[in-house]
Amino acid sequence: MTGVRKFSRAEATAYGFLTVTLVFCLLPFVWVVLASVDPNASLFLSLPKGITADHFVKIFTAENGGRWFFNSLVTVGATTALVIIVGGMGGYALSRTNAWWKRPFLYAIILVRVLPPTALIVPLYKVMLISNGVMGALVRSIVPPDSIRSAMQIFGFVDGYLGLILVLSAMQLPLALWIIKTFFDLTPKDYEEAALMDGANVFQRIRRILVPLALPGLGAAGLLTFIGAWGDFLMPLTFISSSNLQLLPIGLFRAFQRANTIDYGYLSALAVLYMLPAVVAFGLARRFLVQTFTGGIKG
Amino acid sequence: MAMTYETRVAWQNRMLLVPALVLLACFILIPAGAAIYISFTNEALSGFAAAHPQLVGLKNYVRLFSDDGFWNSLVVTAFFVFGSSIVGQFVLGLASAMALSRPIAFRPVFNAAILLPNAVPEVVAGFIWISMLAGGKYSTVSRIVGLVGIPPQNWLGSLPLLMIIVVNTWRGIAFAMILMTSGLSAVPTDVYEAARMDGATPRQIFWRITLPLLRPTIFLYMLVSTAGTIAIFGLIYTLTRGGPGGATEIIGIYIYNQSFTAYQLGYGSAVAVIMLGVSVAIGTVYVRVLKVQV
Amino acid sequence: MVAAISGAVVSSCTSAQTIRVAEHRPARIDALNKSIPSVEKQLGISIEVVEYPAPERDYMSKLLTELGAGNAPDLFTANFDSDVADLVSAGYLAPITAEVKAWDGYAHLFDVAKKLSTRANGEIYALDSMLGVEQIYFRRDLLDKAGISTAQPTSWKDLLDRAREIKKKTGKYGLLLPAGISWGGGAFNEGFALFVPGSKTPQIANDDGTLNLNGEGVRDILGLYRSLIDEDLMPIEPLLGPEPWVIPKYTMFPAGDLIATTCGTWCYIYDWGKDSKNPVPDVIKNVGTWAVPGMAGGSSVTVSGRNIWAVNAKSAHLVLAKKVLLALSSVNATVAYAQLLGNIPARKDAADNRDFQALTELVPVLKNVENGTFLKSAPGFSVVSEGVARATEALLRKQTDAVGAQAILVKYVKDLLGDKVVK
Repeated sequence: MTGVRKFSRAEATAYGFLTVTLVFCLLPFVWVVLASVDPNASLFLSLPKGITADHFVKIFTAENGGRWFFNSLVTVGATTALVIIVGGMGGYALSRTNAWWKRPFLYAIILVRVLPPTALIVPLYKVMLISNGVMGALVRSIVPPDSIRSAMQIFGFVDGYLGLILVLSAMQLPLALWIIKTFFDLTPKDYEEAALMDGANVFQRIRRILVPLALPGLGAAGLLTFIGAWGDFLMPLTFISSSNLQLLPIGLFRAFQRANTIDYGYLSALAVLYMLPAVVAFGLARRFLVQTFTGGIKG
Repeated sequence: MAMTYETRVAWQNRMLLVPALVLLACFILIPAGAAIYISFTNEALSGFAAAHPQLVGLKNYVRLFSDDGFWNSLVVTAFFVFGSSIVGQFVLGLASAMALSRPIAFRPVFNAAILLPNAVPEVVAGFIWISMLAGGKYSTVSRIVGLVGIPPQNWLGSLPLLMIIVVNTWRGIAFAMILMTSGLSAVPTDVYEAARMDGATPRQIFWRITLPLLRPTIFLYMLVSTAGTIAIFGLIYTLTRGGPGGATEIIGIYIYNQSFTAYQLGYGSAVAVIMLGVSVAIGTVYVRVLKVQV
Repeated sequence: MVAAISGAVVSSCTSAQTIRVAEHRPARIDALNKSIPSVEKQLGISIEVVEYPAPERDYMSKLLTELGAGNAPDLFTANFDSDVADLVSAGYLAPITAEVKAWDGYAHLFDVAKKLSTRANGEIYALDSMLGVEQIYFRRDLLDKAGISTAQPTSWKDLLDRAREIKKKTGKYGLLLPAGISWGGGAFNEGFALFVPGSKTPQIANDDGTLNLNGEGVRDILGLYRSLIDEDLMPIEPLLGPEPWVIPKYTMFPAGDLIATTCGTWCYIYDWGKDSKNPVPDVIKNVGTWAVPGMAGGSSVTVSGRNIWAVNAKSAHLVLAKKVLLALSSVNATVAYAQLLGNIPARKDAADNRDFQALTELVPVLKNVENGTFLKSAPGFSVVSEGVARATEALLRKQTDAVGAQAILVKYVKDLLGDKVVK
């Protein structure tokens, strides 16, 4: 038997590879973090000569950063809530049922999941146009003329909160359904059956037993939905035009397009703020990713 | 008593699924069907056709087959998917998973670093890579390769396709690594022990034992990753908008440009239908070959 | 009944009605904001300026998706005359013929502005409140230094030879014509279209709705492009990327790496003026203008519409929006744009305005506007514009020659508008 060596060659290779990979992965972030506190930020990596919090402050005082943050939070938050509820119900049903439609439904979810949103965007736009027309007629008949615009900004399908929330939810739903279903598959039915024996109806079952039991699964699905919808670029790009409804990714993108007047410090601070919720959510949800996908290849 | 209970439960299950079904039908299934219909019309954003769209039969598809832009975007997409997803992310992800499966110090640090690119939103990822790549001799990449004597250049202008492959590889290592990790963990350690007893070299162990045992995981990864990579839009749009001269116009950007920049919604739908067909094919293979357990 | 009463109560308690106006680019928005207070006071309303994405293409795409959805702002500008005809046939614009003709500014409008704004059937849907006068702008100081003639080129061959001479004697780019898909409408409106009057096909649009695209004139213009590209007389790489005009016009020209380019009066103020990013010192002296030569002689200065205001057909405040449109076409409003952007008000009485007289670069141009030619536009022009962009893109990428480029243009237009439209 060989004696104990400090580093085998294999270990050295592993460390070396991982270190290079680490540098590769982290390097692009160095600029944005430095620029966000650099009073003289430019597009290029440089050591800041001073540290300032001005850029972060400016986000909420000047410009529209605060507005973009608010819009993103509202729409993505509502999306997450909607997906957790609808996906929670659906995932539970899919897990517990043994009906004839179970297998086709699950296959359909997989097929829907692989459909690229970029291919759906044109017909989706037309569908939203028509829905918007209907909603507009409805709103016009109920709401006094001066509030029509504000009402449409909330309930409109094109350039309105409601439409965007529904679209984002639909996009995130397949994955959420799958995660929640997988989760319930692993959860024994005993508790529910016990509650049934005690005479609880379906709502009591849901509230008292299932939700606490399913919290980790719902949490994972919710977090992944949040990350997905938070980063979505195509849907807000296509459906939102009003500047007071604008979301963070588009605000950032458009601010970057103003060739002559780009304030890189401000943009970097905005990017960092935009990044943070997604990174935090990702960290929290990470454990559940593995579980979901290994759940898919039990065969 | 038992029959009523079961029927009631079955009915409840159906009801629980209705909201999900409605959402999916309205915003995904119906548009997918509508795409097919619109592709047979001359819908546009401006001009006479905007007010009075008409059915034009297969005209959009005929135009598609003779359009260089379409074939170009297919080729670009193929290179993009192959380079970043099938090669780049897979190799680096597998290597990371294997490296991290050993007792390594600072494992959480390496883990977090590799996961970070995947956690950030697309637009931010594109934004920070513009700082890395644009600007000629001031860009970070230029400065780094300058140390080994490669001349600085406008990377996004001179090597656009290679650059987006690099960026997407950077972004997707995490997903590959996670999958490979779970696949590796399913390989029982006795197998390795036995092989080592028989005197197998590490290289033989890898190629003859690890890889074959990983095959289902690898296949799963390839399918999911390919489907996901085809759908990419925001990352590349932020970096290059599909240029220069269509060099990075992956199919998602091609559809967007045709529909919203050239105003041809009918034509854009035709391309979308083809893209949908390809995706459905991939999904069907996934479902069939992997015998997904339900 | 209750609704009617509450409606009446609500409307009598509301503050002034709000008209929403779309605008893009910081300079334009600043110019618009200068006029807003007086217009609000004059009409007793409030005006909300909605900012749109800056590059012209993105602005138009966004506007079109909203027009399709029916929630576009009340008032907006079209980028080019070539956009208007298609906006009209899509039903997006409200007719303003009666209001414009009854307007007191109508008598002061230049004839060319009247002609550009009026469609073939005599109706007016969009008002060209300002004009862009386009010619070839060149660095007089650098040509003098290199000993190259600054006389007006007399033909396309003369122009090409001049560009070649520039390349040989100074090594710099001789002449830039906007080209390629990235440049959007610029390839057609700010490049190709300028050479049409002097070519064998002096007009593209015919009164019967057909388009003259198959003739030698189109082929010759594309041949001009090809020579410039193949002989490396114009920058190519920037034109393939996003925002292609930034490097050639804002960097190369002031730095002297590009000696001549097509441009309009806005270049004196917006691109190279004292407040621009890279000003050309003493710009009026050092940057001269040539009219665009005809192929075999003669020359032309093309006048085209700018600040082409139009009213959304689905606006809830049609009457009011039209009044705002006319107010924004006043002398003061247009001079505000002239100060920040450099286009010419489309009105003769602007010459009497003190602020305008201070813009010495523009005063002589205003006087000579009526001598300019203009290109008749027609439905389908946005398709022609995209077709020219694609044809010149193929030339930029050296994939074909002039005949092939023309074929690309013709095929594209035929694919989208039908075979019968192309003559």
